[in-house]
Amino acid sequence: MQSLQQNYTSAITVDASADAELQAPPRRLKGSAVKRKRDRRPRRVFPHICTIRTIQVTLAAIVCVVAMRAQTPVKTVTVDYRTFPGLANMDGNWAALKVGTDGKAYVGLACHGCNGHLVYYDPARDNMVDVGDLTSLSGEKGLGEGPQSKIHAKFGEGKDGRIYFATHGGWWFDYARFGTREGYPGSHYMAFDPKTGKVEDFGIGTRFEGVNTGAYDPKFNRIYGLTHPRAHFIYYDVATGKKVDKGRINNWDSICRTLGIDDDGNVYGSFGAGQIFVYDPRTDAIRELDARLPIREKGISLGRDYDKSETAWRTVVWDHETRKFYGVEESASTLFSFDPAAPPGSQVKVLGQMAVAALAAQRNVPYATLSLTLGHDRKLYFAAAGAEFDYVSSAGAVASHLITYDLRTGKLEDEGEMHLPDGRAVLGTNSADTAPDGTIYFIGAVGAKGDPPSEGYGGAIQGTPFRLALFILRGKGN
Amino acid sequence: MRRRYILCAISFMIFTAAACCQRDLAYDNVVVPQDRIDARPLGYPPIDVIPDEESGNTSLTVAPNGDVYGATSGERAHLFVFNPRHGYVRPLGVIAGARSVSNALVVSGEGDVYIGTAPEGTILKYTPLREYQQPIQIGKPLTMTNLGKPVPDESIAAMTIDRGAGMIYGLTSPGAHFFRYSIATGKSTDLGVVAEKAPFGERFEKNKIMSRMLVVDQQGEVFASGENGSLFRFDPKKQRLEKLDLQVPAVPGRESWNRVDAFLLDPSGMIYGGTSDGYLFRFDPVKLAIVNLGKPLSQDRIDGLVRAPGGRLYGVGGDQQDMARVFSYDPSAGVYEVLGFVDVNRRPYYTWQAYVIGAMACGLDGTIYLGENERISKLYLFYPPAGEE
Repeated sequence: MQSLQQNYTSAITVDASADAELQAPPRRLKGSAVKRKRDRRPRRVFPHICTIRTIQVTLAAIVCVVAMRAQTPVKTVTVDYRTFPGLANMDGNWAALKVGTDGKAYVGLACHGCNGHLVYYDPARDNMVDVGDLTSLSGEKGLGEGPQSKIHAKFGEGKDGRIYFATHGGWWFDYARFGTREGYPGSHYMAFDPKTGKVEDFGIGTRFEGVNTGAYDPKFNRIYGLTHPRAHFIYYDVATGKKVDKGRINNWDSICRTLGIDDDGNVYGSFGAGQIFVYDPRTDAIRELDARLPIREKGISLGRDYDKSETAWRTVVWDHETRKFYGVEESASTLFSFDPAAPPGSQVKVLGQMAVAALAAQRNVPYATLSLTLGHDRKLYFAAAGAEFDYVSSAGAVASHLITYDLRTGKLEDEGEMHLPDGRAVLGTNSADTAPDGTIYFIGAVGAKGDPPSEGYGGAIQGTPFRLALFILRGKGN
Repeated sequence: MRRRYILCAISFMIFTAAACCQRDLAYDNVVVPQDRIDARPLGYPPIDVIPDEESGNTSLTVAPNGDVYGATSGERAHLFVFNPRHGYVRPLGVIAGARSVSNALVVSGEGDVYIGTAPEGTILKYTPLREYQQPIQIGKPLTMTNLGKPVPDESIAAMTIDRGAGMIYGLTSPGAHFFRYSIATGKSTDLGVVAEKAPFGERFEKNKIMSRMLVVDQQGEVFASGENGSLFRFDPKKQRLEKLDLQVPAVPGRESWNRVDAFLLDPSGMIYGGTSDGYLFRFDPVKLAIVNLGKPLSQDRIDGLVRAPGGRLYGVGGDQQDMARVFSYDPSAGVYEVLGFVDVNRRPYYTWQAYVIGAMACGLDGTIYLGENERISKLYLFYPPAGEE
């Protein structure tokens, strides 16, 4: 285990001498009022000939919008942050964030074409520790096979205090290397013991496949997963060492990215056209429910990443109090509740839309992130992307918004753009969790301004270099 | 210089990341051409469809009238029919007691459907009757006649039919018995075994090795593969099962674990076959000569092999943990073409890729059918280029 020995001071300093090219300011969202106005004009026989009145109305509308924007201060929420020293080339994080009962934030950092890392942040010591690269931890270093590039699924904490997870591959080469010697060897089930700092490798679960969705259930002491690309539902029984493959759940381009587990150890996922399945560990059987997610009808193609299917839930969290899941689906970031115990037909309820208001009604509302967590204050915290966000594949370097939904009052609120104390915007996140003390953490991208260029970057979002960071929202979730 | 290096690196990262994430033209290149393939669910989703975990398609056969029959394996086995003109799969019912029907579905000249089951090992007869006029009732037991067990305490592992002779032939598991069933007399005969013992292997490997299909040639002789990858022949005139001095192509040293996955009788009288080591071969049943045609894919297994109008062969390979690819072979030129993954992209309506193919058949109109064998499975229709006979 390599300790990065980077201790942070409470004050965030900004390097004013940083390269100006790397200081691209975040774009603010463009208003859509003008566009809609233009679309409503009556059709004309000679559309290129405009009347003076049309021009006047259009100009007036533009002036109004600009004036309103100029006068309306941008609402912001400030988050603290920590980068991952020595790991500036890590290029993504999806779902892999868990704050243990020890208060440490466990993080999986991804690196396409190279080794991912298991890292944790200790808030008591304010330091970040690199447990190691996943290929080495898997015992595959030097084999010349596809690297263990990611932890792409949720961590879980066992009754023994260990942190359980499964690894994932990075590049798939259009599956041309699937099952070949140089291809990805397969996901490893693993456990990290915070007491010893050691990782136990339970071996490969399903050959050649990664685990891009997963969850750990402390009740049955099992690591669950959905594999990529063949979308099999699999699990590892830690006590017995048994590895089970229950077969295919979906197509590779529409594997849901979150498995939810209720208090009884039942495992839920979504598949097909907004359907939900449940795996019961008592019967070892998968059952498909009648419930349907509130998926918005597909329209024109957005040219989105092919594996962003808009047919499943993106993320869910289990609420021990109401014994319901709360989740955000993929097509329009619709917030819903899912009550497994409710009668068929009333299990799923729409609660709102966790999208930036200006984008919510648009067809191209940014793809929902995985950044949903339930605070101790009974509020759901969701980091909505300001533009389509997926690290280097993002549509723009636009600030994320923190959106909350109060389970007590039903109030949904956009708390504003997420910014660092130095003014930099959070450019997107894809994981969230709530600490025992109520602190809320996110992992995502931030513009690389202020960081030494020699360390490198995770990539660039439309020309803006970024690196990964742990974002810390204090005093909100209590 | 340093800045230029950084910008170049960033540009490279943008390019490579985009290339790895998007389904662009590059991915179209690795799958079967989309103007030649489509898929059908096994019924009418979401209700009237063969359920997941019961839909693994492990048998396909074409009836004399052109209807395509299929059988599934899983928690329960189902029979379905596909009428090419009608266009959708019609589930016919549950094959009571069966969990698997593996290349063990044949149709007689009269149109009766014979099903060889596992693990029961019975032959069941289903007589079609106004199938498309009956409501779909998923879970309803199929009305069949039980024709008995050809070999006691054995499952049926494969079946084929000599329509002219009214004779069904099959293999059983685990004993690797070769049997015959006479449709006229209703009598089964155990003709011997094609494997005496399991090959040397790890201690958990206990299965005898035999072919996953059988084939009847133009003289009515029946062929299967058995131990050591050897071909076996049953001569109905001599009423004798014999081991031939012929081994199907294998990676040298792997003969004892090699088997024929798929057989195909060509109108020329030649028999084509694909082995579990992934070789295609041509077998002359008169001269008793095998020609190794090489490996169409770098993968193992040839799970299906059919002949399209015009004479081109189509097959599919890739084992259970792999991703299946379709290939073609032109016997006249001796040329292979790898056509890619079995993938249907009809966004935004449906999209699906099959990873494991369990059965393959060619319809009377030349449409090639591929049956997917996974927890969730569909029937694929592949339209090969028109060929003149």
